[in-house]
Amino acid sequence: MSALGDIGHLLLTANLWQATLAAAVLFLLPALGGVTSERSGVVNIAMEGMMLTGAFFAVVADLKLHNPWLATLVAMVAGGLMALIHAVVSIRFRADQIVSGIAINIFAAGLTVFLVNRIYGVQDVGHVVNSELLPNINIPVLDQIPFLGQVLFQQNVIVYVALVLLVLTHVVLFRTRLGLRIRAVGEHPQAADTAGINVFRLRYGSVLVSGVLSGLAGAYLAIGIANTFVPNMTDGRGYIALAAMIFGKWTPFGAFIACLIFGLGEAIYANNSFIHISAYLLSMLPYIITLVVLAGVVGRSTPPAADGLPYIPGSE
Amino acid sequence: MRLRVLGVVAAALMLAVACGSSSSGGNTKQVKVGLVTDTGGLNDKSFNHLAYVGLQSAISKLGIKGDVIESKSGDDYVPNLTNFAQKGYDLVIGNGFLMQPAIGTVAGQFPNIKFAIVDGAGTDAKFNDLKQTNVMDLFFKEQESGALVGAIAGLLEKQSKAPKNTHVISAVGGVKIPPVDHYLAGYQWAAKIYDPSIKVLIGYSNDFNATDKCKAVANTQIGQGSEFVFQVAGGCGVGALQAAGQAHVYSFGVDADQKDADPSVIASALKKVDVAVYDAIKSVVDGKFTGGANRFSLANDATGYQVDNFSLPADIKTEVDNLAAAMKSGSKTPPDVVS
Amino acid sequence: MLPRFSGLAVPLGSVLFAFVAGGLIVLISGANPIDAYQGLLCGVGLLCAGGENPALELSTTIVFLTPLITAGVAVAIPFRAGLFNIGAEGQLLVGTVACLVVGITLSSLPGIVLVPLELLAGMAAGAAWAGIAGVLKATVGAHEVVTTIMLNYVAQWLVRYLIIGGPLQAPGAFSASSPISVNGRLPTFFPASNSLIVFGLPSSVYRVHTGLIIALVAAAVFAFLLWRTSLGYEIRAVGQSQKAARYAGVSVPRTIIVTMLIAGAFAGLAGAIQIAGVDKQLTDKYFNDTTGFDAIAVALLGLGSAVGIVLAALLFGALHAGGAVMQSDAGLSSNLVLVLQALILFSIAGNFVGQISRLIPGLRPPPTLPSELPPAAPLMTEAAAPPPETA
Repeated sequence: MSALGDIGHLLLTANLWQATLAAAVLFLLPALGGVTSERSGVVNIAMEGMMLTGAFFAVVADLKLHNPWLATLVAMVAGGLMALIHAVVSIRFRADQIVSGIAINIFAAGLTVFLVNRIYGVQDVGHVVNSELLPNINIPVLDQIPFLGQVLFQQNVIVYVALVLLVLTHVVLFRTRLGLRIRAVGEHPQAADTAGINVFRLRYGSVLVSGVLSGLAGAYLAIGIANTFVPNMTDGRGYIALAAMIFGKWTPFGAFIACLIFGLGEAIYANNSFIHISAYLLSMLPYIITLVVLAGVVGRSTPPAADGLPYIPGSE
Repeated sequence: MRLRVLGVVAAALMLAVACGSSSSGGNTKQVKVGLVTDTGGLNDKSFNHLAYVGLQSAISKLGIKGDVIESKSGDDYVPNLTNFAQKGYDLVIGNGFLMQPAIGTVAGQFPNIKFAIVDGAGTDAKFNDLKQTNVMDLFFKEQESGALVGAIAGLLEKQSKAPKNTHVISAVGGVKIPPVDHYLAGYQWAAKIYDPSIKVLIGYSNDFNATDKCKAVANTQIGQGSEFVFQVAGGCGVGALQAAGQAHVYSFGVDADQKDADPSVIASALKKVDVAVYDAIKSVVDGKFTGGANRFSLANDATGYQVDNFSLPADIKTEVDNLAAAMKSGSKTPPDVVS
Repeated sequence: MLPRFSGLAVPLGSVLFAFVAGGLIVLISGANPIDAYQGLLCGVGLLCAGGENPALELSTTIVFLTPLITAGVAVAIPFRAGLFNIGAEGQLLVGTVACLVVGITLSSLPGIVLVPLELLAGMAAGAAWAGIAGVLKATVGAHEVVTTIMLNYVAQWLVRYLIIGGPLQAPGAFSASSPISVNGRLPTFFPASNSLIVFGLPSSVYRVHTGLIIALVAAAVFAFLLWRTSLGYEIRAVGQSQKAARYAGVSVPRTIIVTMLIAGAFAGLAGAIQIAGVDKQLTDKYFNDTTGFDAIAVALLGLGSAVGIVLAALLFGALHAGGAVMQSDAGLSSNLVLVLQALILFSIAGNFVGQISRLIPGLRPPPTLPSELPPAAPLMTEAAAPPPETA
């Protein structure tokens, strides 16, 4: 059978789309965090590091507490703490936000492995047993719908949470006063300040949200899918989320579409047992598709006007 | 400010010197062994970990001094091997097929230091064996172990004792390199001997560490009806075992006895890297080190299988043991290339 | 811009801050920071207590730092134009491929011709790869962060495809290509002899090669290009404000494309130097290579200047080599090195040196950040853009 025929056949299976959505959520959560942070005017390329930190602490906590929900909470707090560093350095100390973001990513990569060695020695980190994982939940009745039931309603609990958060982020950013203020702070901080909006508080809050969401994604990866912590296990997903955010022009649903493309790429690759083509060429596909779409359809991506600029009160 | 900084640095330096001179010493004639892992690192739950286990047991049983450096990337192979060699370690062990040219280079530079390499030999850049007298090659016939678990799968399918009797089985490899493909080739070969109608799906995760990737590949295979998943991907492959467990099908562990990794593991294909590493160290301690290829196989009990969370029917066990005997005697030879 | 603190005090102070903070982390985790740092210092040949040969450690450090300089430049140039090149890694990878292909197919040529051809091929490939991002940015406005990340992944999978069962796989060698011939290699400073003894070890262990000189020249070219040519002026103008640059008659799209082409050439050069100087062939190490990402930190720590990049590369190279010594001598994970690198970046970015010095009485008042930032959102703030340097 030809490679194209293989893939064509694959596209008709519910398994593939179920896996696509599951993989896409790993990109979506940090991407939503990135959208929130950057809409408030703080460039955030640190989702990778926050997610990795979340993954590490999720496993440590789950192995210790034997409770995936508490472990997820710990992961979100850990992601939030990393975000707090980014916030303090870039808002309080007005640091270059790219530098700070890169530093967070390096910091997380080094610290997690260093701590693995200190806590567990050179022994196995250990595996979280299946009963202490974030569970897969089939939604009754709905999961029986042919095709769609499997794709949408037989997923990990975090997938449902992420889809709710997707809608929530969109509504908050574009349909509420709070969202208006966040966007104002990201576009015209001086004007927002003059209008009595607390620029710093909103920016701190938005950056923290990005850390908490990235930490949640880390927990999903570590104790929802992988059952363990592996050094560098996020494997660049935070950067893909960054790309998805920009691809989606800093909107939640735009980012979601990009996440689905990347998720589809991962899902197709996982089928390399039956596709008659070099698995490596296949792996390039989502990235090439993204380039082509960017070149042809999406076009110009313009960040919020004050994205990346520290706010200095009284300056104009 | 600058003076202050200099002062602090100077103080730190002096402190470091003082500490350095006090910590060295203790000059007995203890055999020193250095282990260099490949990029999987010590926490890989498999290959590197087993080498470390071998080193540890040599430390406790033979009273040697053992040190480890993890390689963060392929950039580190030569410097890490050289690090131990230049310090006059008696034996430097490289772990992994991918370290062959690095071993060849460093062993040539330090002819008086002994080297051992798991899954390989000292080679030049074209992977030609340099046949250095100071390099002990520790090769395994992984295809034998792969064949034994493949036989179990084939026999269970043939006798309709598999979960659904789909006659589909699968394997998740890490990266397509010879030690991995040996396992897969044996698995495929033996399964087809006992159940000619069987379909063997083979996929690669392209990773030896990230459990989620092996889980994803295994899930697609299970989705295609596979009811035996053989993992040949080190730490990554634990994800494949767990995928099997969640889907209520069977799985096979690799290298070590992996019955604790998941309840779905009904047997493990063994590759006793720890035994090979221990033996290499012991040969140095005993003054019996010789360069050249050392084949570890059923013949010296370094490959084989282990039944895990499963009660294997006696007639099947007999058949599998017969196959093992046939491979041991050489009357049956499993292939080492995936067809 | 930052009098008194703009020289070496900020970077040096930041390194010191990182080592103090990192030492605390080591201490809290229950280990001895002095043991750790002793191992790290051995990376530059100082205080090697575990029996390491200092000359060898220094040689290893230089081997590690060489590609970081050229790749660092590949990140620093686009920074000046307000572009963030996350794609140095991908550009480096296609550079290795091009160098290798030329080295193998033209292996009969004499070294004096072949080596330059290899390096040029690497540069051309890197430039083309980065050029895709440049053209997409200049024409349809596709954000370079997205496109360069995508191109990184494509390049990474391309390398895997080529050497795992693909056209470049050497016969019988999985995950590796054939090596380039001896005449296609950059000369090493020491003869590759196993019998000649230098500093107590066979001279072939010192892998330090002439790629170092090429990298230093590349850094000088970068400084000259940026501050002594009209193209450099245009790059900086675009980085300051695209609008103003347009008024000044600078073609912004053209500058963006040219900037990316030049950056890619430097990154591709880094890849070619690695193949021709150290690795001889493509191997699995390039699957997980991080030189292009480390280069981002090098460019940032080097404050975007040529001298700074060289010094930052030296620090990172030494930490890399020293990390292995630390692990074998002190038994601490070499990943501590990453923690230190991150702390240095935090300190530089947040101007912690200035903040801390404010707390110490008797010191001059700390520098403040410039009150007026440039209108567009450049990626490097003014604090990280030192005045022109002499090339």
